[in-house]
Amino acid sequence: MSSPSSWIRNLTPITESLLAGVVGLVIGAFIMLAFGYNPLAAYRSLFVGSVGSVYSWAELFANATPLILTALTFAIAMRGGLFNIGAEGQLYMGALAAVSVSLLHLPAPFNWIVAILAAMVAGMIWSLPVALLKLGRGVHEVISTIMFNWIAHFFAFYLIANVLTDPQRGERTIAVSESARLTRVFPDATLSSGLFISLVTVGVIFFLLWRTSTGFEIRSVGYNPHASHYAGISIRKQVLRVFLIGGAIAGLAGAIVVMGRPPYYAVLSGLPQLVNLGFDGIGVAMIGRNHPIGIVFAAIFFGGLMTGGRIMQFDPGVPFELVRVIQGVIILALAIPELRRLFFLARERLAGRK
Amino acid sequence: MELTHLWGILFISLHAMVPITLAAIGETIEESAGLFNIGLEGILLFGALAGALGAQASGSALVGLLTGMGVGALIGLVFGTISTSLRGSQLISGVGINLLALGFVALMLSVMGAPGFHSVAREVQVPLIPLGVGNLSPLVPITVAVAIGVWWLLRRTQLGIWIRAVGENPAAADVAGIRVNRVRLGAAVAAGVLAGLAGAYLSIDWFGAVTKEITAGRGFIALAIVVFSGLNPLLALLGGFIFGFFDGLATWVATYPGIKDIIPWQFVAMMPYVVTLAVVAGMIGRVRFPSALGVPYLRE
Amino acid sequence: MKTRSDSGPVLDKGDVLLEARGLSKGFPGVWEHLILDQLDFDVRSGEVHTLLGENGAGKTVIANILSGYYEKTEGEIRVKGKLVHFRSPREGLAHGIAMVHQELMLVPAFTVAENIMVGLDAPLFSYGIAGVEKRIQRLVERYGLQVDPKARVEDLSAGQQQRVEILKVLFHEPEVLLLDEPTSLLTPSEADQLFVVLRAMADDGKGIVFISHKMREVFAVSDRVTVLKLGKTQGTCQIAETNEDELTRRTFGETVPDYMERPEVAHEELALNTIEMVPSGLEKKPNSQGISLKIRCGEIMGLAGVSGNGQTELIEAVTGLVPPASGEVWILNADMTGRTPKEFIERGVAHIPERRREIGIVEQMHVAENVVLKDYRKTPFSKNTVLRHQQISSHAEKIVEKFNALVPDLWQTECRILSGGNIQRLILGRETWRKPPVIIASHPTEGLDAKAIRHTWELFLALRAEGSAVLLVSEDLDEIMSLSDRIAVMFEGKIMGIVDGKGADREILGHWMAGGTASAA
Repeated sequence: MSSPSSWIRNLTPITESLLAGVVGLVIGAFIMLAFGYNPLAAYRSLFVGSVGSVYSWAELFANATPLILTALTFAIAMRGGLFNIGAEGQLYMGALAAVSVSLLHLPAPFNWIVAILAAMVAGMIWSLPVALLKLGRGVHEVISTIMFNWIAHFFAFYLIANVLTDPQRGERTIAVSESARLTRVFPDATLSSGLFISLVTVGVIFFLLWRTSTGFEIRSVGYNPHASHYAGISIRKQVLRVFLIGGAIAGLAGAIVVMGRPPYYAVLSGLPQLVNLGFDGIGVAMIGRNHPIGIVFAAIFFGGLMTGGRIMQFDPGVPFELVRVIQGVIILALAIPELRRLFFLARERLAGRK
Repeated sequence: MELTHLWGILFISLHAMVPITLAAIGETIEESAGLFNIGLEGILLFGALAGALGAQASGSALVGLLTGMGVGALIGLVFGTISTSLRGSQLISGVGINLLALGFVALMLSVMGAPGFHSVAREVQVPLIPLGVGNLSPLVPITVAVAIGVWWLLRRTQLGIWIRAVGENPAAADVAGIRVNRVRLGAAVAAGVLAGLAGAYLSIDWFGAVTKEITAGRGFIALAIVVFSGLNPLLALLGGFIFGFFDGLATWVATYPGIKDIIPWQFVAMMPYVVTLAVVAGMIGRVRFPSALGVPYLRE
Repeated sequence: MKTRSDSGPVLDKGDVLLEARGLSKGFPGVWEHLILDQLDFDVRSGEVHTLLGENGAGKTVIANILSGYYEKTEGEIRVKGKLVHFRSPREGLAHGIAMVHQELMLVPAFTVAENIMVGLDAPLFSYGIAGVEKRIQRLVERYGLQVDPKARVEDLSAGQQQRVEILKVLFHEPEVLLLDEPTSLLTPSEADQLFVVLRAMADDGKGIVFISHKMREVFAVSDRVTVLKLGKTQGTCQIAETNEDELTRRTFGETVPDYMERPEVAHEELALNTIEMVPSGLEKKPNSQGISLKIRCGEIMGLAGVSGNGQTELIEAVTGLVPPASGEVWILNADMTGRTPKEFIERGVAHIPERRREIGIVEQMHVAENVVLKDYRKTPFSKNTVLRHQQISSHAEKIVEKFNALVPDLWQTECRILSGGNIQRLILGRETWRKPPVIIASHPTEGLDAKAIRHTWELFLALRAEGSAVLLVSEDLDEIMSLSDRIAVMFEGKIMGIVDGKGADREILGHWMAGGTASAA
């Protein structure tokens, strides 16, 4: 039996992701046709709007920055065999914690570090009960994380309206203090140094998963808890680890959004700049195959869709929500492991018919 | 407290019970057959939109409900196909359905010219049954009937034996000549029908409108109720009523003068989710799930 | 000679019911040789025809093809002379061919009657449970199969569950019954009861195909026997015209030594010591009692018994996988009761598990990672939690080389694609390279070829000479008798007795395995 050489096997997940992307865009085109839009014009606008200029690239990376982190939250849990869809709520908590640090009026050099640490701790606090409910009571994390997301949602509403409210503007929180704000990379774009924090986190998680005994344990438990127990690895410890690390990263994502997003540097009522970042991270992680490097590229793709989607909304006038439809189709296509085989089979059949 | 308030809470609870219970009973059929669909939330959302569009296009609430069921069946078919013959991941396709629903419904709402909100005309909403003390949706007795019917189906018919066998030991069912994937696909479609009906109920009966947030996690609460019920549709009905009660209570408290000044509405709104967590945490370990739940079946 | 069955057709004894000619089966890409190679086989009314062969000889595959569960690659199958082609087990049943699988194909949460209903061809919304229960009762009486139709399957013993399997197929009034190793979960006395049932069914005019690798059973029940080796038939003969030696030679090739000679190792220190220990999972068994097992350093203790008699639970307790329900576990003079698997490993307990793919390795991880599955956290393989790939690689290379494991690449090959034998070589290497003081080995040579078996035995003897204690759990009495210094027999969670390995009496061991209490004279 000939075993395929390694680079081909590493290529398979990449082609699967690319194929799913193509399926998403094609089905998106059909939907646009059905609604009477011109898909070519729309996609041109989407493409130019996302990668057509330095400015649009900067916006793209700004959109990708938090997605990289929330995707890591999901991915590290998946590597550990857990389905953590709680980044959404943990992210809200992180953002609010980062904002609340400015109440302390800390001296400049510590301010941003404390804000980031506070956000990470807040994310961990929000994911800890999920781990404990799983360990203590066997509650499936899909149910508990969603419930905690909703609780976070209303808790955030409460904090914005009653505790952290900007005294001048009731519809948002107080702003992150000047010294805690992340540096803007381009004068007019929203891209901040948060991107570099995200990329460093990618490197840290990569190293953690494949170069440390901790990562060895997480992956081992994710693949086979029985064999891991046999090998002397504590499964309970990994569950706790995976949720705490994930919560910290999601909290960090929230902090970066609020500390790096001009012009308000505050959490707005209704959480418009935060909503769905956690859920989009799930899609990014899936397209990136739960691999830190894959996630960076997938986040760039999603960031491009979001950046270009806004432009597409103006030019051919295709609603931004189409981007979300495309994302949903891509995930569905990714769920099908046979997709690649089906694709080649269909191509053979077509070729045969001719 | 006056008696009318009690009636009010009871009616809100019953109305809040309907969607989560219908979705939970659908999921019960599906989980009995071994499929775990976290895309319920998405099917509810699709059903809400389809119900509204169907009712408006035909001018009939009944057609609206049927449209919701049909679209639900279609999504169930997609989920079932991916999870069975295409050997896909149930969790990932569930997430995909949720994302797709969110995007598609938002897209439709903005195409229809009212981003985020679309109200359904009173005339095409499901007519309520006047009972003197209040008006009751006909979906309430229908939900009760569905619970009893599905209990009978799963526990007292040959089909129920097959469905449960496929969930418990697909290899044994296969050896016995049962088409495992076909039974699972059927269960996925049935679950889609019930979740689609639940969604249509949200838009053309209970709320009289479609919004992006109309489902508000009810699909996931339904998943929790399935855990609570241990795959017994009659207990799912009870669970649905308990959650409906807290949902109803929250709605009622949020509007009741005096109370809303003491407890901020945000905390009241959290109640159904907190209760879900508490009840599921208290329940687990005492219920038993099919051995092959969530595991795709491949013949060796 | 005619027999009339309850509702079945009239059958002439001796008529060929099922016949296969030139049957071949290959799984392309998986195996180099054919699983079945040009096989001829038939079964006649009124006979028990045994298929005898080692594990992997292809016995199960034949039964699966004849019953319609697998498709054949080549050849033809006839039922009473008529050419058939089954695409599903249901079509097989329709032609009167039924199979009882080795692993129980039952729904544990269902009652006996509900399990039988799974296979019925009844209308969707009917519910004929009362009728089914009545018919079960009739079958129970006709063939002497003692089973309560209303009992929940998970509450039944292995022997009773086996009877449910047989009832399940009898319900369809089959003419040919294929039973794949039906005795693997049974005690010898339960097996004897089964043989009575099989005989009753044969006398009823049915054709019985009985699959086994145990010589005793072949002679206890068969009319004819076909020996199978690596997918090829070694000939069919009447049981009356053959004897045990001849069949053994044809089945297994060379015979194994009764007892491998080895020097005395005089250690007094106890390596493994259980004190009145009841493993978790056995405490609910009726009259369960504590197990007190003492193994000295430099001693191989064989643990014989029919599988499912508590061996798994005992192993879980002495390796720390599941803490015992009561009693104590001591390893090298340290009380390890309630300690974690990690602490057992650190104390020097190696474990060669029975379900090697499920527990012994992480299939999706690479060869090198699996070689250090228990050592990755120790120096020199990691330092301050950072893994050191260089050290891991050279260590894995050594293990792979020393144990002749066939692996394409240490860091590219996932263990998933390795054969069972190669996986076992890696596990043996991983568990023994440190020369651990205690080795718990469960079915260590299953699936290995003769040469590798020999190497493994020599390895155990070498480790013994260096002072390791070995608890050898095996269903293969030959292996136990060849290797063990002492032999313990387990039955229903109890140790029935312990004898010296040298000169052990096979009959006494068999008696204990069946729950008998005779003492070794």
